[in-house]
Amino acid sequence: MGTRKHRPGVRAVVALAAVIAAIAAAGCSSSGSSSSGSSASAAPSSAAVSTSQCGTKPGVKATGTPIPLGAIATNQPGTSFTDIPNMAAAYFACVNANGGINGHPIKLYIETEQTNPAQIAADAKQLVQTDHVVGIVGNTSILECTIDHSYWEKLGYFVVDSGIAPECYSTANSAAVNMGPRYSSDGAVQYALSQHVSKVVFDQSNVPGTGYIAAGPAALAAAAHTPIVQLTENVPISDANSVAIKEVNDAGPNGAVILNFTPPEALVILQAAQKLGLEDHVKLWGCSTPCNTDFLAKALGPKWDHKLFVNAELTPPDATNTPKMALYKAILAQYGKSVSGGVGSFSQMGFAEAEIMVHALESVTGAYTVASVNAAIKNVSNFDTGMLCQGWTYGNFPMHIPNNVDYTTTPNNGQMVTAQGCTPISSADPQIAAYRKVAGTG
Amino acid sequence: MLDLAGRTAAARQRSPLRRPGRRALIRAGVIAALLAFALFALPQLLSLYYIDAMTQVVVYSVVTLGLGVLVGRVGLVSLGQVAVLAIGAWVAARLLFATTQPYPLVLLEAGVITMVLGTLIGLPALRLRGLYLALITLMLAGAITVVLTTTNFPNGGRGFLGYDGATVHIPAIRRPAIAESDPAYYRYAVVVAALMFLLVLAHIRTRPGRAWAAIRQSEPAALAAGINTWFYKLWAFALVSFITGVAGGVLAGAVHYLYSINFPTQDSITLLAVVLMGGAYSLWGAIIAALLLQFLPALLNNWGVSADWLTILFGVGVLQVLLTAPRGLADQVPKDLARLGRLLRRRPRRPSATEGDPA
Amino acid sequence: MPSWQLFEPFIVSGLALGGVYALSGVGTVVLYQATGVVYLAFGAVGAMGALIAWSLTNAGAPDWLAWLVCVLFGGAVTLAYGMVFGPPLARRDPLVKAVATLGLTLVLFGLMDLLWTANGGQSRAITLPTDNGGFMIGQVQVTWTQVIGLAAGVGIVVVTTVFLRFTKLGTAMRAMANDREITATLGVPVRRVEAAAWLGCGVIAGVAGLLLADLVALDATTLTFLVISSLAAALIARLRSIVGTFLAAMAIGLIHDLLTPIQSLSNFRDMTPFVLAAVALLVLSRHGVMTASREEA
Repeated sequence: MGTRKHRPGVRAVVALAAVIAAIAAAGCSSSGSSSSGSSASAAPSSAAVSTSQCGTKPGVKATGTPIPLGAIATNQPGTSFTDIPNMAAAYFACVNANGGINGHPIKLYIETEQTNPAQIAADAKQLVQTDHVVGIVGNTSILECTIDHSYWEKLGYFVVDSGIAPECYSTANSAAVNMGPRYSSDGAVQYALSQHVSKVVFDQSNVPGTGYIAAGPAALAAAAHTPIVQLTENVPISDANSVAIKEVNDAGPNGAVILNFTPPEALVILQAAQKLGLEDHVKLWGCSTPCNTDFLAKALGPKWDHKLFVNAELTPPDATNTPKMALYKAILAQYGKSVSGGVGSFSQMGFAEAEIMVHALESVTGAYTVASVNAAIKNVSNFDTGMLCQGWTYGNFPMHIPNNVDYTTTPNNGQMVTAQGCTPISSADPQIAAYRKVAGTG
Repeated sequence: MLDLAGRTAAARQRSPLRRPGRRALIRAGVIAALLAFALFALPQLLSLYYIDAMTQVVVYSVVTLGLGVLVGRVGLVSLGQVAVLAIGAWVAARLLFATTQPYPLVLLEAGVITMVLGTLIGLPALRLRGLYLALITLMLAGAITVVLTTTNFPNGGRGFLGYDGATVHIPAIRRPAIAESDPAYYRYAVVVAALMFLLVLAHIRTRPGRAWAAIRQSEPAALAAGINTWFYKLWAFALVSFITGVAGGVLAGAVHYLYSINFPTQDSITLLAVVLMGGAYSLWGAIIAALLLQFLPALLNNWGVSADWLTILFGVGVLQVLLTAPRGLADQVPKDLARLGRLLRRRPRRPSATEGDPA
Repeated sequence: MPSWQLFEPFIVSGLALGGVYALSGVGTVVLYQATGVVYLAFGAVGAMGALIAWSLTNAGAPDWLAWLVCVLFGGAVTLAYGMVFGPPLARRDPLVKAVATLGLTLVLFGLMDLLWTANGGQSRAITLPTDNGGFMIGQVQVTWTQVIGLAAGVGIVVVTTVFLRFTKLGTAMRAMANDREITATLGVPVRRVEAAAWLGCGVIAGVAGLLLADLVALDATTLTFLVISSLAAALIARLRSIVGTFLAAMAIGLIHDLLTPIQSLSNFRDMTPFVLAAVALLVLSRHGVMTASREEA
């Protein structure tokens, strides 16, 4: 046992590490862009719009003391929402290059998290205590609203976010530009009910909040006297075949299957249904807003044209030619290098949230403090983001569902096209009714 | 032949129990000083972000301690410790919502119930060894994870499961009255963890520790020497399940909200990786492993470096450890530093009993 | 209790799922027979190969080239790992060797998420030309890809069993798995035999990765950790019998899907592989201690 052991392992490990570094360095540029290249733009040439409209003093760079803002977004294997705050940062970059806010540039601190509650709470404290942010804009996280809402309430931050968890809509300190899983599922179920289906099967991914989400469609179905079957699936789905068969069996030939999943999971289920030859065994298929991407339309193919109806919580970018939509695409093209998804609902949400923030900041007189900035945010009323069916209001309410009117889209020739224009979500959902009452929009 | 934690048979025999001498007293003093530093100085030096991260480190140091005892001391590899932690957290959360019992009592109950469950599950599994044992713990962890995903963690609802799926306002899991703030709760966690470490130390220094050492050296020989191997292995399972259950209770209070997606089966693989890297044999190794698991990600997240690099690091680390430094960083770094020191002082190298490990 | 007609389509889908588990499970065990290593990185290697194939197809390369690269990647990575980390660990416990492959799994998993990030709203999919055709069994359609998946599983089982039992190279592999040193003294070119075993397993991983990416999902997490579920089948066969692994996998798949229409159990059906493996192991070990040490392999 005294001989010196030959250690080939060390060299092997170093070699392995070097190979890894080489692959990573080489691969870094390639795959990210290649995957986004597909869906990005049926690039409209109307990007001749000048981006300088975003600011008050075109061409003048802002050089004052920066206004710090913060955002928290989920970024983990399989789920990445960083496009939303990244797009907000792109909008702020545009504003900073064109006058800033009264000469002050905006600095957005973006914290990412991996759905770890301790980490999410820590991120919030980092933003407040270390980065001294005066406002929070662009939060998009599966858990953040639940974990941090009491912290924001205690400190007086009124968050502008893209909501997912229940607390993003049910608390006083958060207002979302999107509708979130529950109200978007409401929209999809509502469309199916409007087509007079005899039964609804609502299937969603088994992530936190399924009961809260399911309560919306349940209320809508009850109001329409239509039976509804509630299902959940563990994600990631490893056996889509059994899921598809179960849904179709439960729905019956005159029923509807409504899905609430992220695009990869929804794609897998729909493709399984197609491979099994089941897509025509129900009256229609529906999906909440995550499915509203051209990429899904292309991946699904022609069998699903006018068969799948997707709730769209934002104005379809390809079909709209307003100045704000053109500005959005121009800013994305010029400043949005870190937005990997290109044109789509994620970057639209980031654009809208940033717009709202800038609008609020421009109304602040005097110093930019937590108190002054958040008071301005609360005062935002009926603001036209160019991305929604109606004006967006924050207001001084105990709950916020400012986006409650939506479109329905359907795939057609590899693109998502509008099947139904702006339709309010039914007040049969008690939360929607409650919001309309406090907001006075009846 | 070396086992997973890399101690030769001869080396293990050379560490009999000694009465505490001067060196032991100095060591105890150093540990006390470090503990005082962790309790009082650290919270002042760190921002809240890092205090939250350190609380996680403290919680997971108890988990890695448990896995280290199983892997390093007894020679049993368990790939199901994350599931045990989840059970402990579940029990604690349920009790905290359903009762107004004081926190220490809840932690104790969580530990005991987890211990009972862990022992019951460990009982039949003890007929398996080595690879089979590791894989069956993975299977059991997978089963528990699926159950937890379907039943969810308690969130203030009623009934046995205590889960209300439709609520729009999920209540936070409470913390002890004396430790509501983050720095205070961090100190609370350090105290609880220190008690767990003491408990394990007490085991190692007395009869169970000797029995475990004998079992890991050679189970047939231990049997022949009259040691009831089955009983001591079960005791190890019970001890580890207890401390992991208590850690789960502390975790519940730390995070305020528990979700099944935070306890995936594959985390048990990462846990094994860091325990191997930190050193399964040494108690310091448990702390190093916890720092790798919870502090490094917080650091990298702050610097904007993707967490994937850590996953890669852990993979490389496992390979490195199994090949060249089986006793992990806790053993390797002091040795390397000592070697460096000798080099600087130009003293001749003293051959150590455990050097030149054969394959 | 639902009617028979309700169960019928699930039998078909259950067999398809069984084929998936079989493909994955047999791949992990096949190497064990030849080198004593349970190749837990099987899923990760296949997943990365599939992602590379996807990137190539996306960049405009012809399909056959992408598939070829995927298979070659599987072979190359596995061979490299086997040649570098195989010999130093050869005399260690099978547990140590298996944990080492976990190290490889983590490295590949981290790399995959770095290189193929989850973009907002994007999802990747691999479609093989055999997806579009098929035949009907009762109410549901079975695609040719599923048939190929099943056939591949059967093929691997048959070929490896025959190869290991009846050819010289195969016998050499089995001897090496038992005791490397003695086999070396018998004049068997140990390094070359080892290389052949690792390369063979790697090629299988590449092929399986492509099929599984089509049959299950092109998602790094799903494909990498599919091995955990398919390991159940391998465990039921006590890691010793490739045929046993295949049959156990089919059974697991069938039971998993047959539980779907039963309301009370449906959400728990993902437990099927784990519960079956745990029960099987405990039953099989009731007469004594089960160990996979060197002396027994």
